[in-house]
Amino acid sequence: MGGSARRAAGGGGRPGPVGSALQSLLLASVALFFLNFNILGTASPSKRFSQDLVYAWFGNEAWLYPRPSPEHPAKPRVVVVMIDDAALALRGAHWPVPLQFHAQFLAELEVLKPRAIMLDFLLLDPATADDICDLLRVGSRLRQQGIALYLAVTQPADLQHLDAAACRGEGGARVSTAAVFTPVSVQRQADGSDFVSRRYPFEQRTETSPPGSGIPSAAVRMYCGPDPGAHACMGRLTNAAPDAGFELAWSPQGDPFNQRWSHASCIESISPMRAVLNEPALPRESACPPVATLFASALLSPEVDPTLGAQNEALFALADGAFLLVGGNFRGSGDLVTTPLHTLLPGVYYHAVALENLVAFHGEPKVRKEFRSPRLAFYLYDLLVLWVLAAIFLLRQRWVHRGDYAHSPFELSTAARTSIASTMARQLPTPVWIIGAAVLLLLMSAFHSLQLIAVASIIAALVVVEIRVSPAAETHERLRGLALYLTALGLSLAVIALAVWIGYRWLRLPPGDWLGYFSFAAFGFFVAHSAILEFGRRVDELYVARTSGGGKQ
Amino acid sequence: MSRRLVLMVLAAALHAAAAADPPAAPPPKLCAVLNNRILGPRSADRPLPLLQGHPPALRTACVVSWRTLSPGNQPLAVTDCYQDSLLQVADAAACGTATGPLWVSSRWVVTSAELQAGAHSPACQLLETGAWAGTRDFEVACKPQPRDFEVKPEAAKAPAADSTKAAPAAPSPK
Repeated sequence: MGGSARRAAGGGGRPGPVGSALQSLLLASVALFFLNFNILGTASPSKRFSQDLVYAWFGNEAWLYPRPSPEHPAKPRVVVVMIDDAALALRGAHWPVPLQFHAQFLAELEVLKPRAIMLDFLLLDPATADDICDLLRVGSRLRQQGIALYLAVTQPADLQHLDAAACRGEGGARVSTAAVFTPVSVQRQADGSDFVSRRYPFEQRTETSPPGSGIPSAAVRMYCGPDPGAHACMGRLTNAAPDAGFELAWSPQGDPFNQRWSHASCIESISPMRAVLNEPALPRESACPPVATLFASALLSPEVDPTLGAQNEALFALADGAFLLVGGNFRGSGDLVTTPLHTLLPGVYYHAVALENLVAFHGEPKVRKEFRSPRLAFYLYDLLVLWVLAAIFLLRQRWVHRGDYAHSPFELSTAARTSIASTMARQLPTPVWIIGAAVLLLLMSAFHSLQLIAVASIIAALVVVEIRVSPAAETHERLRGLALYLTALGLSLAVIALAVWIGYRWLRLPPGDWLGYFSFAAFGFFVAHSAILEFGRRVDELYVARTSGGGKQ
Repeated sequence: MSRRLVLMVLAAALHAAAAADPPAAPPPKLCAVLNNRILGPRSADRPLPLLQGHPPALRTACVVSWRTLSPGNQPLAVTDCYQDSLLQVADAAACGTATGPLWVSSRWVVTSAELQAGAHSPACQLLETGAWAGTRDFEVACKPQPRDFEVKPEAAKAPAADSTKAAPAAPSPK
C-alpha cells in the first residue's frame, strides 16, 4: 500500500502522507461497514438509544431543540386540548365523545382565536343529521374567520357519512365536509426494534402510489396550511418513500404551563453521569408532557381552573394564534403512544410534538440517512468522519511507536505480569483462583452496582503494582503513551461532536451516530481491526515487488 | 404537681378547642348560589358562544357579543345553572326568537356569585398513561362508573330534546 507514497517518504518503513491517508481510509471503510452492519437488527437499538440519550441530556437546550415557547413569540405555539370524562360530564355527555359535544366545544375554542384546530377523533360513529349539520355549521363559521380545521381520518371515505346528511348553511347553501374540514392522517410509526414512536410519517399512502398522492399526516398538513398555496410545502415534505418519516426531537422537561395541573413535577434534569454510574439514563415515566396542555374541563368551567385569569388572560396568552390539537384522555381507550422520553402519552401528543418539530426546525425536520436522497452522499459523510477518526488513531499509534516502549499504555508490563503471576502461584492453587475469578465475574455480571466499584478497584491495584515493579523508564514511556492516548481521545471527541453537530444542523440528520463513532474511537475497535492494515501492507509489498520485478524484466 | 396538672388541663383544653374548630369552608359552588347574576363578559373583545336547549341535550345557538346579549349593558339574571359551568340567561332573543332558553359558559362571563367566592386553586388533573390489556365495554346503555366529578340533579330531570336521538346517559351521582 502506498508504494509511491513510501517512495516519496524516502523508502523508509513508514508510509508517506498519501499512504497514511489510504491506510486510514481502509480502516474507516471497515468501521463504516460495521457501523451499519444491521444483521438481525442489532445496530438499530444502539443508534436509537444514543439518539434518545442526546435528547434526554440536551433536549431542553434551545441550541438543540428550539421549540416554540413564550420566550420565542415569533413561532406559533402548539397546544394540546385534552377532552376527558370530567369535561364530557360538564355537558352531560360520556365517552365516546358525541358529535354534539364536538360542535359545542369548537364554538368554545372559537373564542380563543387560534390559528388552527385539529380534532384527533375519528368521527365514525353513527350520528343524527341534526348533530352532523350542527358540527358543520360551526366549522363553517370558524373557517370563515380564518381558523383552519383538520379532522383525523383513516381513509378519504371516512367523511362520506358526514356528507350524506346534506347539510345547509345559514344562507341555505350546501355545506360540504371538504369545505369545512381538511382530512389528515393520524397513522403512527414505531421503530421495529423497541416499538417506540420516534418517527413521524409524512403521509399515508400505499407502496404503489406516487409521492404526494396520499393523505398527509396531521402535523405536516397543519404546518403547511390548508390553502392551495401550501402545495410547494407539501410537495417538499411528502417527496419521500412510502414508509419514510422524520425523527422527533423530544424534550425531557414538561411544559411549564402544565405545572398548574400536573401531579408530577415538570422539571426533569438528567445528567450524563447517571449513565456512567449505571443509573437510569433516560427519564422515568412522567405524566407532565412536554407540550402545553389545556384540559377541556378547565376551558369549560372556571371552577376547575380559576387561575387562568379574571379576564382569561392566561388562557388567551396560551391559545391566541396557536395550533390547537384536540385529543382524548380516556382510561382504556387505547389511544396511547410510546415515546422515547415520557414512556406512554395520549396519542395526540405524537402529532403535537411532530408539529412542534416542524415549527422549531422551520419545516426541515431531521430525517434518517436511509430515507434521504441521494442516500450514498449521506453515507459518504459517515465515511468522511470515520476517516478523520481513523487518521487520528493511526497518528497516535505512530507517535507511540516512535519511542522505545512500543506497547499500549493500558497493556500490563512484563514485570507486572510476572509479579502478579508469581504472587498468585505462591498463594493460591490454580483451581482456587480460577473459581474465585469466576465467582467474582459472576457477581459483577449479576449486580451492576458492583461493576464500577470492581473495575475501579482493579485499575487502582494494577497501577500500584506497575509503580512498584516497573522500571522508571518504562513508567515514563507509559505515562507518555497515556498522555498521547488522552490527547487523541480528546481530539476524537471534538471531531465526533463537530461531525454530529454538522450532521444535525446542516445535513438534518438525527443525532444517533455519536455512540457508534465513539465506540470506534475509544473502545479499541480500530485496534481490533488494524489487522486489515497488515493485510493491506502485505498486498502492497507484493504489488511493489511484482511491478519492480516486471520493470527489471 | 399541681402546676403540672394545670398545664395538662390547659393543653387538653387547647387541643379540644383546636379539634372543635371547623375547617375553612370551601366557597359555594356556582349553581348553589341564589340570585346569581351575570355582570358582564370577562374579556370585552371576545365573543360569547351561546347554547340552546335543555341540558344535557344542548346545541350550539350562535356567537354574539355582550352588547347583543345585554343591549343596555345591564346585569342578566341567571334563571338556571348546570354543572357549575353553564348559566341560563333570561334573555332568549339574542340568537333570534325561536331558540328558547340560551346558555353561556361561566368561563366567558363574570357572575356575582364569583365575586362573592374567594380565590381557590386549580384542580389537579392526571393523564391516563397506563396501557390495559383489556377490552372496554362500549355498549351505549352501560352505566358509567362514578368518577371524580359531581353531577347535578338537573342532568337527571332535564327532558330529552330530541326523542329520535338516544340522549347520552348521565353519569350516576356519587
